[in-house]
Amino acid sequence: MLELDDLRRRYGDTVALDGLSFTVGPGQLFGFVGPNGAGKTTAMRIVLGVLQPDGGEVRWRGRPVDAAARARFGYMPEERGLYPKMRVADQLVHLARLHGLAAGHARAATELWLERLGLTGVAGRRTETLSLGNQQRAQLGAALVHEPELLVLDEPFSGLDPVGVDVLSEVLRERAREGVPVVFSSHQLELVERLCDAVAIVRSGRVVASGTVAELRARRAGRRWRVDVDGAPAGWLGAVPGATAVGRDDGTVVVELAGDADEQALLDAARRAGRVRRFAPQEPTLADLFREVVA
Amino acid sequence: MIGTRTAVWLVARREIVERVRERSLLISTFVTVGILAAGLVLPSALGFGGPAKGTVVAVGPRAVTVAQQARAQQQAFDVELSVRRAAGDAGARALVRGGEADVAVLAGGRALAVADAADEAVIAAVQAGSSAARGARPPPPLPVQRLGDGSSGTQQGIAFVALVILYGQLLGYGFWVATGVIEEKSTRVVELLLSTIRPRELLAGKVIGIGLLGLAQLLLIGAAGVVIGAASGQLDVTADVVAAVGIVLAWFVLGFLFYSCAFAVAGALVPRQEELQTATAPLTILIVMSFFLSFGALDDPGSGLARVMSFIPPSAPMVMPVRLIAGDAAAWEVVASVGLTVLGGGALIAVAARVYGAAVLRTGSRVSLRAVWRAAGEQPAGGRRRTGR
Repeated sequence: MLELDDLRRRYGDTVALDGLSFTVGPGQLFGFVGPNGAGKTTAMRIVLGVLQPDGGEVRWRGRPVDAAARARFGYMPEERGLYPKMRVADQLVHLARLHGLAAGHARAATELWLERLGLTGVAGRRTETLSLGNQQRAQLGAALVHEPELLVLDEPFSGLDPVGVDVLSEVLRERAREGVPVVFSSHQLELVERLCDAVAIVRSGRVVASGTVAELRARRAGRRWRVDVDGAPAGWLGAVPGATAVGRDDGTVVVELAGDADEQALLDAARRAGRVRRFAPQEPTLADLFREVVA
Repeated sequence: MIGTRTAVWLVARREIVERVRERSLLISTFVTVGILAAGLVLPSALGFGGPAKGTVVAVGPRAVTVAQQARAQQQAFDVELSVRRAAGDAGARALVRGGEADVAVLAGGRALAVADAADEAVIAAVQAGSSAARGARPPPPLPVQRLGDGSSGTQQGIAFVALVILYGQLLGYGFWVATGVIEEKSTRVVELLLSTIRPRELLAGKVIGIGLLGLAQLLLIGAAGVVIGAASGQLDVTADVVAAVGIVLAWFVLGFLFYSCAFAVAGALVPRQEELQTATAPLTILIVMSFFLSFGALDDPGSGLARVMSFIPPSAPMVMPVRLIAGDAAAWEVVASVGLTVLGGGALIAVAARVYGAAVLRTGSRVSLRAVWRAAGEQPAGGRRRTGR
């Protein structure tokens, strides 16, 4: 289990992290979302020890993270980078060995991952001669080659084509199934919603919402319903206690009900107003939730 | 997790393996050996060094006798004469004016016509030939003994070559360190590396790897130089020559110890290769200045300036070897010079270790040394937090 506990970090006068905390359980696919400059990269760099926090602590399996623990982490930095002139396979072997794999093991793992990522054909080529997509895959290989016990990936999906997205999604799911916690940041909220077991939404260096997507929805004050009534007089909604219209399109009204309001009362009022063509709960997407908490 | 020694070795090994694969190393080795070979073979081919050469043109049988007598004594005068004949005085003079001959012995051997630029020793040899031709028996020239501190021309030549090679090697490999650091920084691979090893392990591995490569190249160049020199007959492979190669190798290590970390820091301060020149300018100036000041030591290895310069770390790696090869230095001077250079290098390594980690992750724009020094003080990037080793 990975715990980020009250992390604080400033750059000069800018506060990057302001008491950021969240926990990622074993085998959990954890999405880390937030607007640009919210502190996602800073938090990840701190987990990897590339940056020191001004305050707070990162714990792995209940103990403060040390170099030995970090050697077992896999990392994909936001700013991609590999040695441009080094051959792809040599590069992965080198990185695997820096993470503590013995020479033979490092070569075997490199072969395996090049195969899985579809890079076997370019294993002997200089990294700079690869297409951008393949460079991305090589970068992912660099994060995975030493069989890490935790994956921290900063924007791993950015710049990938749809096939690349599928390959990466599958790899991440598989890692999680093996019990590896996977933390990744992304602006592609639909992807995060589809893939992740849990998310944390950060703003200005703090987590403003976290949990499973279902939990985030449940935590909202009101529930929304889409109601479509033929021939309803204007203002029919006024009679329903705790109901507010929050949106309207094409004759459909999106109604938000306060916490204790009864949706049956809403339905009754709608039937009294006219012919009800549609009456359905509207589940907010992660993007909706994101906009609400970040706005 | 890997230990420091393994981390340093893995980084160093990568530097060596990757650079040996690059053609530029091979090319630079060949170029240096080529320059060395040219330096050894060309001077004599072009007529520099060795006995002064002169052409004597003679008019008539008497004059020819004079010229031949001169030739017979050429060794005593340290000249090498060739003799040709001319039909008349006018033709002989024309040859001298035209630069084809240095000295004309005119008809009857009664007068000489010499070129402006004619070597005094050549003229003296012809005069002695004239005396001999008239049957005079002048005493042979007195044997000459050169006095001084043993800095014969050969030693000076070796010292010069050693200086040029040391200069090129320190500057070249220093630059390699700086470009290597910038490469890791500008491609951001450094972030991946520093998530598993410490900045000073990366720095040490890089410097040691590139340094070993520089040392191996020097060894190769030294061996090639000795072989070419011996084969061409231009170099007596004496203990002095072998010692000179040893001195160059040892001072490359010391000089590299001093300069490499400074180059690494310079590289860490800038974000892109384009800014390399600006960042390394102070170091380049230091090396170039030391190089030119070393010429003074070449002329007069015992001068006060040379002595002082051989103790100051930036210039010691070039001046001290020159003094050692071309002249002599007291044992205590060598010990002090080595000690001070090691001390200076050690101080620079300490600075580099502190600054490098803080600077190398600051991508985007150029950072000042002072800002990085302060930041490093607040946040020891050597990883004080990395406990549990």
